[in-house]
Amino acid sequence: MDESKKPKAISRRKFIKGVGTGIVGTYVVPSALSAIGKEEKKGPKEDWIPISLTVNGKKVRVKVEPRMTLAELLREELELTGTKVVCNRGECGGCTVVLDGKAVYSCHILALDADGKEVLTVEGLMQGEALHPLQEAFWEKDGLQCGFCTPGQIMAAYALLKRRPRPSVEEIKEGMSGNLCRCAAYPKIIESVQAAAEKMAGRSS
Amino acid sequence: MKSNQPLNSEKVFRPANLDELDALAAQTAEGVTYVAGATDLLVQEERWKSARILVDLTAVKALHATLEVRENGVLIGAAVPLSRLIRHPLIRERLPILVETCRQIGSVQIQNRASLGGNIANASPAGDTLPVLSVLEAELRIGPRQNGEFEKLSLDQVMLGPGQTSLNGNRYIAQIFIPFPPRDAFWYFRKVGQRQALAISKVSLAVLGKKKEEKIEEIRICPGSVTPQIVRAQKTESLLRGQPLTEERIEKARAAIECEVSPITDIRSTTEYRRRITGELLREALYLWLRN
Repeated sequence: MDESKKPKAISRRKFIKGVGTGIVGTYVVPSALSAIGKEEKKGPKEDWIPISLTVNGKKVRVKVEPRMTLAELLREELELTGTKVVCNRGECGGCTVVLDGKAVYSCHILALDADGKEVLTVEGLMQGEALHPLQEAFWEKDGLQCGFCTPGQIMAAYALLKRRPRPSVEEIKEGMSGNLCRCAAYPKIIESVQAAAEKMAGRSS
Repeated sequence: MKSNQPLNSEKVFRPANLDELDALAAQTAEGVTYVAGATDLLVQEERWKSARILVDLTAVKALHATLEVRENGVLIGAAVPLSRLIRHPLIRERLPILVETCRQIGSVQIQNRASLGGNIANASPAGDTLPVLSVLEAELRIGPRQNGEFEKLSLDQVMLGPGQTSLNGNRYIAQIFIPFPPRDAFWYFRKVGQRQALAISKVSLAVLGKKKEEKIEEIRICPGSVTPQIVRAQKTESLLRGQPLTEERIEKARAAIECEVSPITDIRSTTEYRRRITGELLREALYLWLRN
């Protein structure tokens, strides 16, 4: 049977979660500690504020804690963990998502501010089982080493290519200067964005 | 966590328009934290966590969407994202110095959220738009409105020192009016940081000038990150105003500005470096003007 046609029984996320439950006994102490941290940060649920937004094309109604960031909403409430939080202070770009067509740091925006807006995360790029040209290009051109910054790099590139479909190398450097890669895969990242631009131009014509 | 008060005492308001915002301001006399893009506030954990009443300004169109080009200048909502200013054709044409400073702030992601009002209210001596707003003689419109009018203040009446503004209690920055400089005006803005993107300035300098018959008719110089309050280098300006621009005059001005600034040594740079570089930036600016 062709690999790509196999029905997907279980997603990677569900699998990892399942494994996590299996070893919960050994992790009791750290997870209890992190739960306390969370409670301290978030006020009681009755003070949470209802908002509605579109996430990856789907309408979502959800209650948010007043100080919750968009990254926390995406990762912890909506379980969209493709968006990575690294520095959590708006400097590294790992948490980049596209909000109403523009690249933003999701760790640096209140979830409240996404009310009525449209959020696109890396999970929203695939069409069924087909990778987005940007994802394909990063894969083909090795635009990553450890891959942790990649979802942010790809979303920053997505917003850049929306605005400038055929960017020069200089424009790519400026447009993606807000995304750091500690493996320093920058030359390959730039190549990947160029390759994606070509693919996307080819497909739309 | 530093705050002793329980978190459930906090309140968040999201007024939908100016009338709602002013009504809210009238009810809450003190302790209001206004939030626009939150790009500075979310980094300053203590300030952020101790904020009791948050007022999110991003739903107020008069602040978030206003961009009115007039004959003599442009009126910009205090919460308008910098990326909108960078891409606006008329602002690019008439206020290239403003576009340049906005482009050098943070990164694309920051520019999509950060605003002029936020840069002013954060009141950092390293705020990159502040020296530029100062040389452009921007006029700040402060709310809540009294009898339907915003109060009009200059930048040095609002930004008083590091983290300090005159905006006590419930006052907020609503809009900023920036008059257009003459089309043939000379402009210069340069920021010196550790790297090009995502760096806080060690030193910056904004210069705006106009010559008439080979003499300097008007000159405005404002350094950033080297004085506690953002103020123009008036002594250096008066040394140049009305004079022909010569190499000798440039060297005098360089020496003058080095005496006029009062930089500190901190995590980013030293007093000596900052003093010297302020002089060198002015020198670079004036030589560029001399040769063009």
